[in-house]
Amino acid sequence: MTVIDLLIMIIVVTILVTIALGVMTYIAYKLRLARRPSQYANETSTAQYFVLHEPADLSEASEADAT
Amino acid sequence: MPVARNRALISIFVIAAVVSASALFIYWAVHSPLQVQRFLVRLVLISLIIFLAILFIRYFALLWFGYLQHTEKTIRGRGASDFAPPVTVIVPAYNEARLLDDAIAALLALDYPTYEVIIVDDGSTDNTATVARRWEGRHGNAAVRVLTKANGGKATALNTGIAHARYAFVLCMDADSWIEPQTLHAVMPHFIDPSVGAVAGNVKIANRDHWLTRLQALEYIEGLNMPRRAQGFIGAVNIVPGPVGVFRIEALEEVGGYDIDTFAEDADLTLKLISAGWKIIYEDSAVTWTQGPTNVLDLIQQRYRWTRGILQAIGKRKQILLRPFPDFPLWLSAIEMTFEGILWPVLNVYAHLFFAVVALVYGMGELLLYWWILLTLLDLVVALITVSMEEESLSLVPYAIIYRFFFILFLDVTKTFAAIEEALNLGMDWGKLRRIAFAPAAEDGSQ
Repeated sequence: MTVIDLLIMIIVVTILVTIALGVMTYIAYKLRLARRPSQYANETSTAQYFVLHEPADLSEASEADAT
Repeated sequence: MPVARNRALISIFVIAAVVSASALFIYWAVHSPLQVQRFLVRLVLISLIIFLAILFIRYFALLWFGYLQHTEKTIRGRGASDFAPPVTVIVPAYNEARLLDDAIAALLALDYPTYEVIIVDDGSTDNTATVARRWEGRHGNAAVRVLTKANGGKATALNTGIAHARYAFVLCMDADSWIEPQTLHAVMPHFIDPSVGAVAGNVKIANRDHWLTRLQALEYIEGLNMPRRAQGFIGAVNIVPGPVGVFRIEALEEVGGYDIDTFAEDADLTLKLISAGWKIIYEDSAVTWTQGPTNVLDLIQQRYRWTRGILQAIGKRKQILLRPFPDFPLWLSAIEMTFEGILWPVLNVYAHLFFAVVALVYGMGELLLYWWILLTLLDLVVALITVSMEEESLSLVPYAIIYRFFFILFLDVTKTFAAIEEALNLGMDWGKLRRIAFAPAAEDGSQ
């Protein structure tokens, strides 16, 4: 085996191993995600900021005032 | 079944489908009739030439425009103006108790006449709010305020800070970043031009005591800052980075602040500002040091989020891709984002796989070897130029040898899957990176 053949072998193996490592690491990342709880478990799709908030006790108080 | 497990299973199914399809294609190519194989060999040669042409054109365009930006800056001089209006610095923080002290201490050391710091605790579950409150009050030229809110993500925390800002300019940053003292002085003179809506700073990796973070340090210089420098010259900066971006409040109000429907709020906001006609500038002497992930899975998580976030930002403006006029800078930014976000990573992975298989099956190894040598030399030259432009340590240059053939290829696999998942509209979480406390100032950085 010549030096050129050896270099070619190193490059080809490096490319294939890197891609395989990339795929395996991605799977490991996905498995890690699956093991921990979702950060936004309630899956809200609406904005939590700039949303008008009306405290419940305030509306109850105004109803009480009205009566 | 929990949502996270369901998503992981779907993702793994997608990975299996992509890998199987690729393997089947390779098997078919190897066992196909001779005529088909001849055709494939020709296809390899043409692909190789096209791939190399794209790579060379991309590299030389970025280097040339980057060089012009650097020269223009050198001729004009650095920060010679006295323009220093008061600035509000916004620090969104979610579970950043370990790093917040360093970030605030660096902010209070800013060399600037008048500024306020607003720390927005985004419903942290650790003692972030307690750490932040210790700094409340006046410190020389700066006043520190702390706001707390229910957890809603970084974009909502930034919007909260913007809504409470007292001054006409805001610096948005990350709580895990550390701003250099001269940053505001370097940035603010750009706002003398009333058409400038934002200035993007120069982000660098602070923790360089690990091979993975040293590779990221080179990547930030060569892969992120060099394109941004080139974009700055042609007036098409497409991302004002999260760790350091200064905005005119008027511009933010016009576009409605940060949207909460993408995972790359910085890219999304930048596109909104460009759409509204605001100019975006790059300032390389506005340096911020940030923490690079030291764990491979954390790095993958970060890049996955970046890729999907950028694709979400582009997805909101798909129609722009087909309309170069009348808004050419916006079109150019969107095209560049699409190219870097989807096309290049996918092309890179498949080109490498294709060439490796062809070298093995058809004995075209020598071609692959010369290609590798050429690319490595190119990478070394580019690393040398960009590292010199950034006045960084030359010790990062040798990392260019493994930069493309390992690091970039490895990350591009994740970007490819992230792009496929985004195309399939699979759900995702923000994810929180694990951070360590700040290392002392980068050992090999000259700054």
